[in-house]
Amino acid sequence: MDALLNLLPHIINGISLGLLFALIALGFMLIVGVMELINLAHGSLFALGAYAAMLIISPDPAWFGPLGQWYLGLPLTLRYIVGIALAPALVAIVGFGLEFCMRRTYGKDPLYGLLLTFGAAMVLEESIRLFWGSGEQVMPVPQAVSGAFLFGDLIYSRYRFFAAGFAVAVILLVWLFLERTPYGAIIKAGAHDSEMVRALGINLTRLRLYVFGFGASLAAIAGIVMTPIWGLRPHVGVDAVVPAFLIIVLGGVGSFWGAVIAGVLVGLVVGLTGAYASEWSLLSMYLLLIAVVTFRARGLFGKKSMLEA
Amino acid sequence: MQQTKAQPTFWITRQMLVLFAVLGTMPLWAESVGLYQYLGVEIVIWMIFALGFNLLLGYTGLPSFGHGAFFGLGAYAFGLVQHELAVSLWLGLLGAVALAAAGGGLVACFLSHRRGIYFALMSIAFGQVFWFVAIKWHAVTGGEDGLLNIPRPAFDFGVGHLALDNNTALFYFVLAVLAVVIIGLWRLVHSPFGKVIQAVKQNEMRTAFVGYNVWLFKWSAFTISAAVAGLAGGLFAMAQESAYPDVMSLHASGFVVMMTLIGGGFVSFWGPVIGAAVFFLARDLLGSMTETWLLWYGLMFMAVVVFKPEGIAGAWQDMVKRRSSGRERGGHAGAALAAQLKR
Repeated sequence: MDALLNLLPHIINGISLGLLFALIALGFMLIVGVMELINLAHGSLFALGAYAAMLIISPDPAWFGPLGQWYLGLPLTLRYIVGIALAPALVAIVGFGLEFCMRRTYGKDPLYGLLLTFGAAMVLEESIRLFWGSGEQVMPVPQAVSGAFLFGDLIYSRYRFFAAGFAVAVILLVWLFLERTPYGAIIKAGAHDSEMVRALGINLTRLRLYVFGFGASLAAIAGIVMTPIWGLRPHVGVDAVVPAFLIIVLGGVGSFWGAVIAGVLVGLVVGLTGAYASEWSLLSMYLLLIAVVTFRARGLFGKKSMLEA
Repeated sequence: MQQTKAQPTFWITRQMLVLFAVLGTMPLWAESVGLYQYLGVEIVIWMIFALGFNLLLGYTGLPSFGHGAFFGLGAYAFGLVQHELAVSLWLGLLGAVALAAAGGGLVACFLSHRRGIYFALMSIAFGQVFWFVAIKWHAVTGGEDGLLNIPRPAFDFGVGHLALDNNTALFYFVLAVLAVVIIGLWRLVHSPFGKVIQAVKQNEMRTAFVGYNVWLFKWSAFTISAAVAGLAGGLFAMAQESAYPDVMSLHASGFVVMMTLIGGGFVSFWGPVIGAAVFFLARDLLGSMTETWLLWYGLMFMAVVVFKPEGIAGAWQDMVKRRSSGRERGGHAGAALAAQLKR
């Protein structure tokens, strides 16, 4: 019982981290499902979202003169909400641009899409370096969700709970959108059989554009939420894209809840190994992936997919 | 055309002679065109790495995004042999090749029944594992700093020896290794083994139906490719006089993919050679103009993937073909050249 009690904080930490991993994987999953495209630029879009939000939350006061002064005088919470709403929209525009470049690779070997997004990831990362520099950045968070609180004898970071709750909310909203709206029905149909969707008179080109933009903005949201925990530097994207594809392969392509469960599982494994060997905690997720995939090639809940082509 | 058909059985081809002539004279003209001796060493080492990589990507059709791991394994093995066992060039390189081949063989056991995108993703995961261990296993790898002060042992050939501590001597040594690797891989891809792995690339299932053990061929191609990467890594550790985890990162693994593709590894044996030279020349030329040369190189890579996935070698082949079809009869020489550039 005592041992279990000692583990409890690690389990709680692991689950909250897992929910955030699931949030990171969400946009990636959507793009894999509908477009059969591995978006290796996912991590860079994640980083770009965080940088864009930082710019919106605390812009250089010299930029807009008195208007900037007035804006910076607004409460941080308000600016934070503006940032979290506006930055994903900006990243979605970048996503549209990227999808536009991608069009020539449709119908070819999916490897070309992978290579193209790999190049795009590098270009985005270098662009971030160009505009914001290579240094570590700090994103301010509103007072209400920062700080720590005491529960039992242990101190918990308030922001982690806020972030986990936010992740749950976004995951549920995306699920409701996919399951309960006609747009969601089209997206799911596109993932299932894109030829049939086209035959039914739905503009597949536009669908792909929107799905990619949507996936990019989900990456941006994940980036904004993760930044106070992970910190922000140009190459943070790699730290995000690797867990994202890992979770998708682990959960199985084409399974929404598979990805969420895989995310929580990865979070738990990382959290628990962190309790005993904190140096090696991130290694455990690769070993989990290798162990599961060796025995179940399609992941935990996967269906037949482009990965097996 | 008869002549070109017989050509693969040659040990040495015209392209090799051109390449060796250009590279062999490089120390004489490099400085007068604004380059420096060490650049040549780097280019040749990455040519070796990329050639080995292309055995996997271009010939077997397996896109590995974690190949930096084997390059890094070779580098660490070379350094550890010098530090812990003996200061010996041959022992160091042998260790580099052996460790990388062992690592590659192990990873290949998990990957050889995969292909395409799944293979690419799993190779990233394995590459990250090696990279992560290299950073965290302080006692052996020296952590983030890596192994420092790796000596450059002399080239000992029985009757005498040659010091490799200046960059020109080292350049000629790595060039000799490149020559061995090129001839070896050229023979390999034109051997029955080479034909089978190309068949695997085109249609794995049919190759299996004809009766070949596809898994074993993929495993062998992966292991050989990892061994060549390890050789390049060992040379790199000697050239840099250190071994560090950066070369195992996803970025470094991506660089070799990028240079192989831009050069034209999909359509030509020479693609990785061209690509490695372009990469380092771009780094130095663009790098002297702008800090963010990778931004421009990345854009170039994206443009190649979108418009000309066959890369520079593919564009050259097209140009030669167009010219030769323009001149009905006179195009004979051009067609022969185009056929030569194909594998």
